[in-house]
Amino acid sequence: MTRPPRPLTPRQRADRRRAWVLAAPALAMLALLTVYPGLWVLWLSLHDRIPTFGIDRFVGLRHYAFLAGDARFLEAGRTTLVFAAASVALELVLGVAVAAALARQRRGRRLAFSLLLLAWAMPAVVTAKIFEWLYHPAAGLVNFVLGTRLNWLGDPRLALPAVILADVWRTMPFVAVLAYARLLGIPPELYEAARVDGAGALATFTRVTLPLLRRVRLIALLFRTLDALRAFDVMFVLTGGGPANATETLTLYAYRAIFQMAQFGFGSAVGVIVFALVMLAAWAYLRLLPSDEAAA
Amino acid sequence: VRRPARRGAAVLAALLLAACGTPAPPSRPVTLVFEHSHVFGPRDPLPDLVRRFEAAHPGVAVVSEELPANTDDAHQLYVINLEGRTAGFDVMMLDVIWIPEFARAGWLLDLSGAVPPEELGAHFPAAVAPATWGGRVWALPWTMNTGVLYYRADLLAKYGLPPPATWQALADDVRRIRAGERDPRLDGYLWQGKQYEGMMVNVAEALWGAGTELLGPDGRVFPDPARAAEALAWQRSLLTGGVSPAWVTAADEELTRRAFGDGHAIFLRNWPYALDLFERPGSPVRGRVGIAPLPGRTPATAGIGATGGSHLAVSARTRHPEAAVALARFLTGEAAQRAMTGAFYPTRRLLYHDPALIREHPALPALYRLMLAARPRPITPSYLLVSSALQPDVSAVLVGLRAPDRALADARRRVDYFLASRR
Repeated sequence: MTRPPRPLTPRQRADRRRAWVLAAPALAMLALLTVYPGLWVLWLSLHDRIPTFGIDRFVGLRHYAFLAGDARFLEAGRTTLVFAAASVALELVLGVAVAAALARQRRGRRLAFSLLLLAWAMPAVVTAKIFEWLYHPAAGLVNFVLGTRLNWLGDPRLALPAVILADVWRTMPFVAVLAYARLLGIPPELYEAARVDGAGALATFTRVTLPLLRRVRLIALLFRTLDALRAFDVMFVLTGGGPANATETLTLYAYRAIFQMAQFGFGSAVGVIVFALVMLAAWAYLRLLPSDEAAA
Repeated sequence: VRRPARRGAAVLAALLLAACGTPAPPSRPVTLVFEHSHVFGPRDPLPDLVRRFEAAHPGVAVVSEELPANTDDAHQLYVINLEGRTAGFDVMMLDVIWIPEFARAGWLLDLSGAVPPEELGAHFPAAVAPATWGGRVWALPWTMNTGVLYYRADLLAKYGLPPPATWQALADDVRRIRAGERDPRLDGYLWQGKQYEGMMVNVAEALWGAGTELLGPDGRVFPDPARAAEALAWQRSLLTGGVSPAWVTAADEELTRRAFGDGHAIFLRNWPYALDLFERPGSPVRGRVGIAPLPGRTPATAGIGATGGSHLAVSARTRHPEAAVALARFLTGEAAQRAMTGAFYPTRRLLYHDPALIREHPALPALYRLMLAARPRPITPSYLLVSSALQPDVSAVLVGLRAPDRALADARRRVDYFLASRR
């Protein structure tokens, strides 16, 4: 794949210089708003910093050592991974299904599209509040429709699935819109050709549509996974991390440590681990992405 | 195609301007920024009180800034601004549990010299204690709250029952009334068991009801582990025994207030604010609600509610300490608290004996006794740390995932680790 380096013409060199100059403001912004705070949090995580007690001392990796054996942290890590895996998988499947249905729909497409976007446009806190009422054990729509009296948010086994469903409802449209846009770009000739070859609806979907959506799926997967690994707002409003910490994610734990317990150093250490987790996922996906450039 | 885009840009610019520009500061030499939460209810007495203060203090203008409605968000706003040393406010409304923490951090102005001791004596002792942490005056009591047992007076009368004084009596009453009513939609006792600070308030009350407390005099959590386990076991038994519905483990104040207000429960633990809502015209339980002290394990340990409420403090970084202290004293004064009664309950004891106020708010004498007996949650700069660290284990006990004694031992260990780093 690697091309032998070719000597640059003076013009190309000038272009490169100009490119750097033009990119400089954006890079400076990025450095100021992302790299600097990121390094600061890393530095903070090596300290015991408790502003309310005037404590600020270097403790090295002590917080990380404590976290390695902290049951609450390990539980939050597990919850984060389960949440991310389940919600992203559901979003992807439902999003592609909805996009395919939408593309086939003849009438009311605009209305369906708007309704879809409504869920995505709603602030997470509003969504969570709506779901709080939907899940209400006595007066909630969910129990009414199912004919049950399940304690959705108060039962440690049901709370995480309930939170995942709320998140899927909110973010599935993002995947659907991406996939829908790609579907519109598929030339009709491909489908005609499939029909001529005698492919049924299912075969067309699995052999034509799905492969062509591969790239979009990977991009959606990347965005949604990174988001889900940092999940905070839905559980913050719906359950506060409970019951019995069944819905506490790493970000929520970091938030509690910093803003409620005022353990800035300790909370930063949790934040750094979330950051590392997100970077790891991003790196893994980006390695997957360019390899299928030809497919899309 | 262009025009909508341009219009959009104009709207965006207008929004940005609106977001950045607080209303142009009045051209007075001293401007005080006053942080407080939104006052709900039919009428907000604050704007009028602020105008009265400005009229009495020529040259001083007060700009009100609303705090986030969620108390966690409000705490976060203060921590960020005060720790970042950018605090742009002078007078701050504080939740009673934050005072020692903020005082310890050096964020509050010491009011000891400015406020005579007899001025504090006019307030309930449970409101004064947290405000005078470490023997100095850090904040002035403003509004008062305490845990109250609401009961359906009509149902209790029907079965000839007095308000229950003990846990056992409460459970017996619920079983008897539910057996008689045969209404599957009628729940027994509602309280707050969601994993949040409100749950810790209920736990603190259960601990007092069992004759122990959350934090011992030596600063250790659960000084009497056996009795603490007993208190938590009682709360768990409410759920397993059907005295309380299972959804209490996801319930906050509003969820339980609505269910009781719709007539679907016999007992409710909540703050006094619910009373006015129950008596509102059109309320299904109007005229059928009574209030009583919270029950205890024995009658001797009954009747202790946890205090809530708010205080006014002055930021240590204010540029106008005198005017700021004057505003805090004015708003916590008798005239202002009288005007605010109804929107809030006052911290000044005298107002509970005021015939004119009692005519308007008949529950004042009953609330007086409850507030006099009320106790504050542990008064320590580490309260939020302790509470946050305990919440998962306590919640695990309530939902039945863990046994009380094991959970309490674990919680103790974790709190000790964090507290050790503060020494």
